[in-house]
Amino acid sequence: MRVEAGVHPERLGQDGPGVLTVAWSNGHHGRHRVRALRLACRCAQCVDEWSGERTLDPDRVPPEVRPLRIEPVGLYGIQIEWSDGHGTGIFTWETLGELCACAECVKPGEEPA
Amino acid sequence: MPGTQEVFSALKHVQIPRLGKDVVAAAAVRGLVISGGAVSFDLVLPLPPDVPEAEVRGLQAACEAAVRSLKGVSSVHVRSSVQPAAQAAGRRVMPGVRHVVAVASGKGGVGKSTTAANLAVALARLGQRVGLLDADIYGPSMPTMMGAHGRPEPAGEKSIKPLVAHGIRLMSIGFLVDADTPMVWRGPMVHGALTQFLEQVDWGELDVVVVDMPPGTGDAQLTLTQKAPLSGAVIVTTPQLVSLVDARKGLKMFEQVKVPVLGIVENMSYFVCGSCQTEHDIFRRGGGRRTATELGVPFLGEVPLQAGVAESGDEGMPIVLRAPDSPAARAFVAVAEQVLARLQAAGESRGSSLSMAWQA
Repeated sequence: MRVEAGVHPERLGQDGPGVLTVAWSNGHHGRHRVRALRLACRCAQCVDEWSGERTLDPDRVPPEVRPLRIEPVGLYGIQIEWSDGHGTGIFTWETLGELCACAECVKPGEEPA
Repeated sequence: MPGTQEVFSALKHVQIPRLGKDVVAAAAVRGLVISGGAVSFDLVLPLPPDVPEAEVRGLQAACEAAVRSLKGVSSVHVRSSVQPAAQAAGRRVMPGVRHVVAVASGKGGVGKSTTAANLAVALARLGQRVGLLDADIYGPSMPTMMGAHGRPEPAGEKSIKPLVAHGIRLMSIGFLVDADTPMVWRGPMVHGALTQFLEQVDWGELDVVVVDMPPGTGDAQLTLTQKAPLSGAVIVTTPQLVSLVDARKGLKMFEQVKVPVLGIVENMSYFVCGSCQTEHDIFRRGGGRRTATELGVPFLGEVPLQAGVAESGDEGMPIVLRAPDSPAARAFVAVAEQVLARLQAAGESRGSSLSMAWQA
């Protein structure tokens, strides 16, 4: 989903052990597999800040990685503390929208979350 | 060489008796590294800090044994530690405060702190319950401007009470350190100090807290926009071009972090002569209004350069109180009226409604 100006999540939820749900202010019902979110982390530990190259090795992320807690960051994003000890990544509203894997947004050929 | 999946499957057989779940379900296994036949990971146990050492060692040994039993494993290295489980919800910053307004500028010397102090006093005159947070940690000026000196008293175990000056609750780093001690701090220290400040001041019930931001767009500003539930920002500028360029930068920063810009104030807009009361445009009056129009944000008003504003600050009695009928005081009250109207139109700050603990 493309996040237009002023659109923001209103509520976060959980659907089973591995799916994060996001109720957006524009009525969209976002869904994310939590491991996919962990792998998409754009923080400086997971992505090279200069080249933009992903330095996070997916094999080092436990298959059952899950959030421990989620906290808002200002009015523009959330930060997730993960069960693998990682916690420096901020997911902005734009990023969350791009990563949405609900039936409507999921990339062709991929399973919706 | 074993796969991650196999290691986790093996570790699922290690139960933590007092939690009634295995170490994987308890999210205790972290930082797994498999290199050839060597397996290493951290075992971070979500147990109370007073758990017996033997219990931790027992769990570590059980994990090591479980992994060692896998095919292709030559050595196992486990570092165990105890970390109490994450609390259900984060500590809410400023829980009883309805609106938090940042007063910011792209650069120093434009009268940002003077504007913050007068805005706070003017809001109080408009019937609001007001707090003023001096977040300019490098050069706190609120103790002087508001004429408040002293040490904040503790409130309960982990909080401090703000001082009160002119009916306004006031907190400044200046109350906690000696006036002559320069703040020579690196980024992470700034972040820590401000976070502590935001979390530990017991503001009580207030309608508005005005935050005097440090000048510029650096670490401290970022921390404040991340940690404080800001309802909006007021950008202070002067008519000179250099100042306007910086005001634009400040504006862009707030835009990036989704803090609504309530408007721009042009300070030192014109000079009111003390003897003839004529308005003189010393700089290029109107630059603030043009910038606001250009960037599509409201223009909140022009505050004149007037004898007495600076002295009022030095005497600890903001001009809005000392000379309420002066042009500068009237301009500040007009700014406050607009800020208040915009805050009320925007509704409550939606700061930390997105906090959640994941259920295993």
